Amino acid sequence: MGPYDSSVSAGSSSGSSSSCSVKPADPIDGLLAGAGYRVRSSELRQVAQRLERLETVMINAPTEVSHLANDAVHYNPSDLASWVDSLLSELHQPEIAPDPSTFSDLNYIAHAQGGPVLVNPMVGHCELSSGTEIEEDSGIRLVHVLMTCAESVHRGELSLAASFIEELQGLLTSVDGERGIGKVAGYFIDALSRRVFAPQEASLAGSAFENAVLYHHFYEACPYLKFAHFTANQAILEAFDGHDCVHVIDFNLMHGLQWPALIQALALRPGGPPLLRLTGIGPPSPDGHDSLREIGLRLAELARSVNVRFAFRGVAASRLDDVKPWMLQVNPKEVIAVNSIMQLHKLLGSDPSRGSPIDPVLEWIRNLNPKIVMVVEQEANHNQPEFLDRFTEALHYYSTMFDSLEACSAQLEKSLAEMYIQREICNVVCCEGLARVERHEPLDKWRDRLGGAGFTSLHLGSNAFKQASMLLTLFSAEGYCVEENEGCLTLGWHSRPLIAASAWQAMPVLQHPLPLINHHQNVI
Amino acid sequence: MVNLLQNGDVCMEELKEETPMFCINDNEDVLVEILRRLDGRSLGSAACVCKMWCGIARNDALWEHLCFRHVSPPPSGVRPVVMALGGYRRLYMVCVRPVLSRLGRMRVRVGGGESDLVSRVWTRQEVELSLSLFCVDYYERLLGGGGKLGDAPASSLIFLCKTVNV
Repeated sequence: MGPYDSSVSAGSSSGSSSSCSVKPADPIDGLLAGAGYRVRSSELRQVAQRLERLETVMINAPTEVSHLANDAVHYNPSDLASWVDSLLSELHQPEIAPDPSTFSDLNYIAHAQGGPVLVNPMVGHCELSSGTEIEEDSGIRLVHVLMTCAESVHRGELSLAASFIEELQGLLTSVDGERGIGKVAGYFIDALSRRVFAPQEASLAGSAFENAVLYHHFYEACPYLKFAHFTANQAILEAFDGHDCVHVIDFNLMHGLQWPALIQALALRPGGPPLLRLTGIGPPSPDGHDSLREIGLRLAELARSVNVRFAFRGVAASRLDDVKPWMLQVNPKEVIAVNSIMQLHKLLGSDPSRGSPIDPVLEWIRNLNPKIVMVVEQEANHNQPEFLDRFTEALHYYSTMFDSLEACSAQLEKSLAEMYIQREICNVVCCEGLARVERHEPLDKWRDRLGGAGFTSLHLGSNAFKQASMLLTLFSAEGYCVEENEGCLTLGWHSRPLIAASAWQAMPVLQHPLPLINHHQNVI
Repeated sequence: MVNLLQNGDVCMEELKEETPMFCINDNEDVLVEILRRLDGRSLGSAACVCKMWCGIARNDALWEHLCFRHVSPPPSGVRPVVMALGGYRRLYMVCVRPVLSRLGRMRVRVGGGESDLVSRVWTRQEVELSLSLFCVDYYERLLGGGGKLGDAPASSLIFLCKTVNV
């Protein structure tokens, strides 16, 4: 832990009772001042490095140090910067270039914004390859200009924004674009330039096939989706305990990667497997090629190998609110689980006072009377009405996510996973209105929304937590953390949660009839 | 054995073999018993000795024993599932070995917040997790066989096998 990590503040220290009168242009760090040392906030990092250097020197060359006690001139130690410098020169140590910093991206962002750093800057995963001060400053400047550009976009000053984008592209050449802040900034600059120069084709939405491939590589490159799948399966397995006729409704089938583990767990459960029905919702495939059915066939093959009675049904819909409950053909005798991995946020609207497309969907979900509804969502606030707030939040969120992706060693998976993330970034930054589907909201808002729609929260048990922890131990470097949050589980990077899993159950309904197979009432 | 003849000459009779020379290859059941007690790496080496040893060492029953000999009680009803998904030898290579070594090496925080060094004895949850990962591996091979993803898809378990740069 460096001596400065908890004390970086732009001159406005909160807890210290220091009585230093501070010139606003050159602030003295408040917390150190309380201990009697005067150090300028801007010099904190250099002073820290030199103190560490001094410590190394003193440990390695104790004989040289002893002469300091006899005839050296002692400088005032309260002026820490010059005191350290003088000691180092006494010990004939040359000045060193600053060490390669282990700044994480967030530190850059916080520096550029001038605000207090909430993240331990020593915990850094992105080492700058050339490690010079110039590069660090470029990184800070990059973020600063990025924020200024976003601000001008926010105010509608597009020509000003365009000039900032040119400047940003120039700045990008002086940082390492392969890692750290350079990489994240590159994607955001790209997104901003799409928004400013080509707003019509801004969305990067590809074909359903491409999306599924990118999703698959995102699944393999980092543990977020694995965490989502395994946690959801554990909760669904527990909900299905004791029932013989079960039906899972998956809001986004993709390649069906979630379901083999559930099928296997059901095959091995004491008492034998139930009859499992799976209804997979997905986008329609072009030119007659039925990808939903193909996935269903593969899952059926697997289920047959392990002797689980299995039936699959595919529902093709481009948006979730196109799905009508009668399409799901729910049987009143079966127990239903609804599984939504990062789908519900696509139904939100931007104006909280007006209804959004999600309300009728939540209503028909509730009318199905499901035993469990699994909701996994990105833990971020990307649905704020103001562009600048969204941009700032997205910069923090995706910087953290890219940080965590550095741990992935498989190059192909990592590149394609980055493309997957890039699509999300473009959607958050470039798109508006109906085109903007990545409307992430944090867990608290989902709690309010689902509670208001007639669902009660089910606590994910300790089994789910233990399994998630084990999964992380297997798949990751240090840095990921699983946390429990009032019955929900979150997975994050260095204590910033990035994805949250929660389980819900419909509150007992007295008046609504269950939709039967022949029930054609239009619920939307 | 030396015999004294009537005329005083000495002749050597053919030494009758009282105890037959022991050859392990003639005693398959003993070989199996020995192999059962080996660890996975040694079992793999044993399979390289000769054709006969290869055949025996590849016997899935040996690998089943290796996978679950530290689990008590041994999981029941698992065998048909494992056989359908690729067999115990594959289960060991692809899942059990990396899971055990990873979880054994690192300290696992159990829910109560205490750090325990996980011993070689499995918990039920580790068994379940390994089986689930094994099933995902089988499914990904199914997907790849259909040619849907173009070139052979990287299994999600590859990340499991790469040493983690902690």
